[in-house]
Amino acid sequence: MSQAMLMLERSAPIDMGDLSEAGDRDLMARLHRGDEEAFRGLFHRYAPTAKALAQRVVRQSHLAEEIVQEAFMAVWRDPGAYDGERGSVRSWLMGMVHHRAVDLVRREEAHRRRAEAAIPQAIEEQADHADDVVQQLGLPEERRIVRAALADLPEEQRDVLESMYFDGLSQSQIAEKTGIPLGTVKSRTMLGMRRMRDVLAEVER
Amino acid sequence: MTRDHTVIEELMAVDALGGLDGDDRALLERERESHGAACAECALLEKGFAETAGRLAFALDAEPVDDAVVDRILGSSDGSPASEAVVEIPQAPRDEVEERRARRPRVWLAAAAAAAAVVAIAVVAAGTIVPSTTSVQATTSQRLVVFTGETEGTLAMAFTPGEPGAVFWGSDLPDPGADRVYEIWMIEGDEAVSGGCVTPTDGVIAVRVEASIGTTDAMAVTTEPSDCPSTPSSEPILTADLTTMV
Repeated sequence: MSQAMLMLERSAPIDMGDLSEAGDRDLMARLHRGDEEAFRGLFHRYAPTAKALAQRVVRQSHLAEEIVQEAFMAVWRDPGAYDGERGSVRSWLMGMVHHRAVDLVRREEAHRRRAEAAIPQAIEEQADHADDVVQQLGLPEERRIVRAALADLPEEQRDVLESMYFDGLSQSQIAEKTGIPLGTVKSRTMLGMRRMRDVLAEVER
Repeated sequence: MTRDHTVIEELMAVDALGGLDGDDRALLERERESHGAACAECALLEKGFAETAGRLAFALDAEPVDDAVVDRILGSSDGSPASEAVVEIPQAPRDEVEERRARRPRVWLAAAAAAAAVVAIAVVAAGTIVPSTTSVQATTSQRLVVFTGETEGTLAMAFTPGEPGAVFWGSDLPDPGADRVYEIWMIEGDEAVSGGCVTPTDGVIAVRVEASIGTTDAMAVTTEPSDCPSTPSSEPILTADLTTMV
């Protein structure tokens, strides 16, 4: 590392995101030694968000809890699967949960579609009142930042991102459902993700 | 000369959100190969999108999780990260195992649906073949399917037709390798749907998969990266045909 880079790093302001990530990585390091308290710390910090994500995708609380259990079981059994070079602990955890939830929902597609007609309103109501909900289980600043970034996206980009990530729909399913050409779905996804990435990175600086 | 990353960026953005499907999955793999493993821009794009996707979860209100979940996870491991409650799988007779290995079917996806001709299936009432396994409430309505393939070891699946869920037992299975897992697939027509990933402990697996087996033509197992992808990236090492079941 060059002298200039070292100086830059040393003079960079400390931000809470870095501290939080450093804490997560410390917990992961302790997991390698079988530290149960470290596991409980990680679990209590991220399991509620993981469950919210799984529940949003699969729309059933008990299945969401099973997904969370399975994902965290994988973490406990093999903490070495986390590669710090590839991103933050929180995103890795949410990625595992999301993979499992999407896999499940695609397996149960027919069943989900039957239930879908009755559920969107409840989901929408929950989203509409999201800011009023008193229940804020940790990480309120992170939630505020991500919600603000999402709300700031052009509507057509936000819709595609939400359908894909939160509803577990594939690009083709979104194109079919909305009548938007597949190429447009993909380009909106890329533009939305670019913007989210840049905004979230900017906020962390 | 700077290479254009527009195509791979678009595909990676969709993939990070779990939305990639159809021919685009293969296209992404071709793009990756084309750019090469040393493509720093590609790595940066992928990392950035994965990070962004993970953080989207925090847009949701947290949901309380029963404290019993963490206790179950820690309790089930009994201090050892790799020990899980396991039921015994009955060992097939040696000549049967050798016979199955000798067949070494090379099938995948569409071919798997037609595997009836080359894959030997043992379909029997589970209660008659697993009398010693107390962990399974076997009834005459249950079915036990034994996988065949090129890998060492034995894998079987028990399920009740018309009911969700299937239980898998495996023994003497080789380690899938560093950062690799076994992934179970349900084949319907030419589509492979993931049934989840599992890592054997001392060659043994015992896992319940919440899957609907009812419309599945065949089952397959591949070795995959530990992130448990939603589409298979390798040839199956074990298969089972369900189309001939009675």
